[in-house]
Amino acid sequence: MKPLTKKLFRTIMKTRGQSLAVAAVVLCGTACFICLVSVHRNLLLTRDTYYAQYRFADFEIMLERAPNTTLFKLENIPGVRQVRGRIVEEVNLDLPGRTGRLVSLPNRAESPLNDIVVRKGRYFSEGAQNEVIVSERFAQANHFSIGDILRITVDGKRHALKIVGEGLSPEYVILIRSVQDMVPAPERFGILWVPQDFAETALSMSAAYNNVVGSVDDPEQLDAILDRCEDVLDSYGIFAKIKQKNQISASFVADEIRGLEVMARIMTTVCLGLSALVIFILLSRMVRNERTLIGLMKAYGYSNLSVATHYVLFSLILSAVGCVGGFAAGHAMAGGMLKMYAQFYQFPLLRSQVYPDIVVKSLGIAILFAFLGSLSASIRASRIRPADAMRPEAPVIGHRVLLESWGWLWVRMGFTWKMIARNVSRSRFRASLNAFGVMISSGIIIMGFFSLDGIQYMLSFQFELAEKEDVKISFAKEMGKAALHESARIENVLLAEPLLQYPFEMRNGWKKKDVVVIGMERDGKLRDLMNTDEEVVDVGERGLVLSETIAEQLGVGVGDFVTLKPLMGRITKERTASVSKVVKQYFGASAYMNINALSRILGEPFAMNAALLDTEPGMERSISDQLNDAPFVSAVEVKVDALESLMDTIGQNIAIMTGAILTFSGVIAFSIIYNVTLVSLAERQRELASLRVMGFTHREVGSILYNENFVTGAIGLILGIPFGMTICRLMVNAFQTDLYRMPYHIAPRTFIIATVLTVVFIAISNFAVRNKIHGLDMVEVLKARE
Amino acid sequence: MAVASNPSAGTRGAPIFRIDSLVKEYAMGEVTVSALRGVSLEVKQGEFLVILGPSGSGKSTLLNIVGGLDAPTSGDVWFRDENLSAFNERQFTLYRRNHIGFIFQFYNLMPNLTAKENVEMATEISVNPIDPVEALALVELTDRADHFPSQLSGGEQQRVAIARAIAKRPEILLCDEPTGALDVATGKIVLNALRAVNERVDTTVLLITHNASIGGLGDRIIRMRDGGIRTIIENKRRLSVDEVEW
Repeated sequence: MKPLTKKLFRTIMKTRGQSLAVAAVVLCGTACFICLVSVHRNLLLTRDTYYAQYRFADFEIMLERAPNTTLFKLENIPGVRQVRGRIVEEVNLDLPGRTGRLVSLPNRAESPLNDIVVRKGRYFSEGAQNEVIVSERFAQANHFSIGDILRITVDGKRHALKIVGEGLSPEYVILIRSVQDMVPAPERFGILWVPQDFAETALSMSAAYNNVVGSVDDPEQLDAILDRCEDVLDSYGIFAKIKQKNQISASFVADEIRGLEVMARIMTTVCLGLSALVIFILLSRMVRNERTLIGLMKAYGYSNLSVATHYVLFSLILSAVGCVGGFAAGHAMAGGMLKMYAQFYQFPLLRSQVYPDIVVKSLGIAILFAFLGSLSASIRASRIRPADAMRPEAPVIGHRVLLESWGWLWVRMGFTWKMIARNVSRSRFRASLNAFGVMISSGIIIMGFFSLDGIQYMLSFQFELAEKEDVKISFAKEMGKAALHESARIENVLLAEPLLQYPFEMRNGWKKKDVVVIGMERDGKLRDLMNTDEEVVDVGERGLVLSETIAEQLGVGVGDFVTLKPLMGRITKERTASVSKVVKQYFGASAYMNINALSRILGEPFAMNAALLDTEPGMERSISDQLNDAPFVSAVEVKVDALESLMDTIGQNIAIMTGAILTFSGVIAFSIIYNVTLVSLAERQRELASLRVMGFTHREVGSILYNENFVTGAIGLILGIPFGMTICRLMVNAFQTDLYRMPYHIAPRTFIIATVLTVVFIAISNFAVRNKIHGLDMVEVLKARE
Repeated sequence: MAVASNPSAGTRGAPIFRIDSLVKEYAMGEVTVSALRGVSLEVKQGEFLVILGPSGSGKSTLLNIVGGLDAPTSGDVWFRDENLSAFNERQFTLYRRNHIGFIFQFYNLMPNLTAKENVEMATEISVNPIDPVEALALVELTDRADHFPSQLSGGEQQRVAIARAIAKRPEILLCDEPTGALDVATGKIVLNALRAVNERVDTTVLLITHNASIGGLGDRIIRMRDGGIRTIIENKRRLSVDEVEW
């Protein structure tokens, strides 16, 4: 081994604490890259194969009822490859709080569009009517077994279905009933796949369908094709036309995949960028320390290049060590992350695969950053002239700092604090780096907890501020005032209010959009129309209240008129309505109107299709049980149940999230503070040793470095808070879709957590430096001039 | 044990240190180097003691052990009635803090503190300090109090170091080649300052140097060689700093 190589390895061993800290940041960066990029690719590949193999439809049209004969017309539209008419209906199960969606499948297995994967049991048997395949997670959560009987109420009639299988479908990768639910509740909502014959009989829809899915040759042509479909189905009451990318499950999955890509880029750059900075300080210090040595090597005839290479190699080795750790950690994390995804997403096969090209790429990126970090110090080393190197470096020059102009404060400061103040301003770059590390670290903490805050905030916004009812009854058709009176008379019901939800095609000139208009009582106590500022918006007597998203898409403002075309029932007459207000909302696809005005649009004096109940506390479930069998009741939702299962799902993920945030922010903060402190300790060992000689205790000497870290840490935290808030703001904007808007809401708790964790991280770094301060050899340090 | 600052303890001429068969060996890899080979010495309160010897004679090691920077391999150092050999790290720190002032060849000032602040640094941890302004006046640096070390000459820096050392009112001032890096004229100013402290504040001074001319300043002159004391000379007539030439 060449002497220079030996020196290299010995230097690494000697500075192993700092070297490991550098490697740890590289490890974080590589682990992030490997984990996020391979999860991204796994998800993407799994999704694409799944969609293709099980023939996920390019579009879906929901309608009132159309005869099967129309299917041929649809199939004849140029560009349409295949269509399938099916029956989809929301149903109540005989189990309290459980609802299901009945989806018909061909009587015999024949790989149709939106096919299912039978995970357990079998497909329907020939000619069997009362068989059902249940979505896997729903079956598991409710402990259903093959052979169990499931009792459901369809169209007011009760049916007993035998469970023959458990299945998955590309249509329901993430199983959410509506956007408002935000997270899946596998226990409360499931898909019930039934034979076509059963669905036709149970819903009296023989040779008819209420939902059609189709595939096309070119998804670019979807808009035009959907318009043609609309022409065909116009008289059959279309109430929603959905492209694959807007389908709830598909859009959630697509958002997640897009998010992963963004996260991979941000986290990798941040971590590896920081590693480059740490390498930069470490090497700059090393080159300064070894000036004489460098001069000597050159005097002996080593070339500038071999000297520079020596220092570059140092950083590359650290980086490579970090990479190797990062490969292992990244794959472990990817496995964990996929497990987390498996809770939300139901893919038939989602495995953590190792992709060699990702590993190679991550190594390349890490090495590149390490090289950049070492560049300046290496160049400096190569520029040192042997003669100069033998002379001592210029002494440190003391300066007054800005703080000194505040006489009253400066006089009151102890000399330790004066030293800290002057030091921070003396080594501004190092102090900034410390502050920067803490800023990034606290930013990550805020960003991480922000996503939890967001979900929790949405839950309380939705379930406490906007929807105050305890139970919601949905009716199978529009009802009159009598239904409201009847609901109010149910035992233990304190108050009942009507709601009318009706789908329309809303039009302004050539711009159009399918919108559910919600008719509500103006002075209702159980539902409030809230904007994102938590203000109650008066729905008014007449006129439409539009969400900002809809208003923007239709290009309308207050005072403008829109055309409303009902998409359901027998009413086909178009009406115009004026826009009375535009409000900012989290869920974008709704419009609101006074229930009386909305009823009139439908040609009725009063209509409702849902009742909101305020009940005696604790009686919600018994009320829901009574209503399950009631005629015309299509669904009964109990709010506490919904909340409970949501909290369950969220709770499980909080632990994982917190762990990841703590690791990353901790490693980043520690590695930077530890390195910067050690460098500054090395530079000032003479000063600190003289303090020890004077009779300062270890703790007193240490406190100068410790407090300096707390000062720079405080600056970092102060910067980190707006930094974190900015990232959150960017996230809100990035993840805003047609369907929903993420709330920009950071709980005060998050700031407290960020502060506490920052203090803890700094304390840990200080503790790690402690040994080095104890190890200061006073005699040795003071013996000679540096 | 209580290591409290008690500057009025003892009177001039009473023994302050009793050094008994002091041995210090350093393990340098596989070789053992003996820096001190059984040194015994008594130091009196208020004494100005000059230790002469070439480099490697063990004088710095002796000073470091007496100053509580280093522990002996064997033998005892009694500071009044306390045995330094039995001290732990914390007791050493307190001992240095309360009783000892160090002055080195290189001044070891905090570069980012002014002269006055450097002195304040010492008074801050002291029980009964001299006012920093007064300490600087003792070394005639009142007008340079607000200058940073880099703005001071070598002699001025060394005088700040002296002011810093005496501001704690130590009983003993240990000076390791205090004029080693200075020219004659500046060196004399520094020596004058040390003399002044010794006479006015009654501080015991142990000064080590390889410069034999300075010996004349001491009450006693000790010559060391090869880790042992060769001669101890009682100096009947202490020279004034102006009489010393080198």
